[in-house]
Amino acid sequence: MNQFNECFQTLTDEDVFEAMKRIPGYVDITPSDFLDIYKIAFDHALSRIRSAVLASHVMTPKVVSVTEDEPVLEAVKKMGKYNISGLPVLDSQNRIVGVISEKDFLTRMNEKQAPSFMQVLQQCLETSGCLMVSFKSLKIGDIMSSPPVTIARDATLAEVAGTLDRLSINRLPVCDESSILVGIIARSDIVQVMC
Amino acid sequence: MKNYFKKMSGGGQRPPKVTLYEILWSWAGAFLGIAPVAWLNYSLLQGTDFVYIIGSFGASAVLIYGAVRSPLAQPRNLLGGHLLSALVGVATYQLFHPYPWFAAAFSVATAIALMHATQTLHPPGGATALIAVIGSDKIHDLGFWYLVFPVGIGVLIMLVVALIVNTLAKKRKYPEFWF
Repeated sequence: MNQFNECFQTLTDEDVFEAMKRIPGYVDITPSDFLDIYKIAFDHALSRIRSAVLASHVMTPKVVSVTEDEPVLEAVKKMGKYNISGLPVLDSQNRIVGVISEKDFLTRMNEKQAPSFMQVLQQCLETSGCLMVSFKSLKIGDIMSSPPVTIARDATLAEVAGTLDRLSINRLPVCDESSILVGIIARSDIVQVMC
Repeated sequence: MKNYFKKMSGGGQRPPKVTLYEILWSWAGAFLGIAPVAWLNYSLLQGTDFVYIIGSFGASAVLIYGAVRSPLAQPRNLLGGHLLSALVGVATYQLFHPYPWFAAAFSVATAIALMHATQTLHPPGGATALIAVIGSDKIHDLGFWYLVFPVGIGVLIMLVVALIVNTLAKKRKYPEFWF
């Protein structure tokens, strides 16, 4: 976030000087005074936006989700159909109980902790077959990541971005006070707000 | 110590030069603003006990006809700065005139402090306060009338001219704010 901040602050004295030349009349300020004011004003605007924009403003309210007692195939179908890499998992009362993502499938297909797709493929090619067969009997609840990382509806944009960054995750389900899923925020949603 | 002198080196850039258009409007404004005040002083009311023009008006002209965007040139600063400084100047003279060096310094310093505190900073105000102390007997004899003649009347005339002239100039806008 700070890098973002600095890259927008690279106004030079020259830029300001050129701008001042275009303003008719004598502007009673030096270019460097303007830069000082600009930097402080920019930081102020940034922190205002970061705390004024809430998770509920940037989230996608219509969430594709699955329930924990559905077969794994259901998650596979939905992730394929909507071209997404992860889904929140709900219990029968619509409370979020976990998240299922490509990572969970890969982990199941390999002995390694958090393997990549290529590592799984390597194992499939080197050994006689893949472990795919074993998925058929499993329920989503068996392979999902739980407990899920979620965020409250009134969390600020700064908290959302910080959580995504700190945990290196790509999506963050948004919940109300009683763990009911109300939306989801993907990394790309944050980029859209900033630009 | 090194830093102390380093601070004096500046390092910043001076603002750009104004266009010929600006220079001409500044000239016209200053001429039309000073003219009626000077005419009052030298022609209409010559021979009376009053003074209608003081040096600080020249300084105000620089701001209200030459740097119209400046916060220092706005009506609040022009009126407030001159009147408060005049008040400080006259009071200082009456209290401390046996010690002219002290009265002179005290009047200017206090005028600046008061203008800052009231958000009416107007550089010519410092001159207005100083003139009340170091001025002629004619000025001293005015007492607090100094706030009305020459300061109040002169500043009002110059303000009206600034409004007329700066509004006529297409690329100018005056004031930025009133109070």
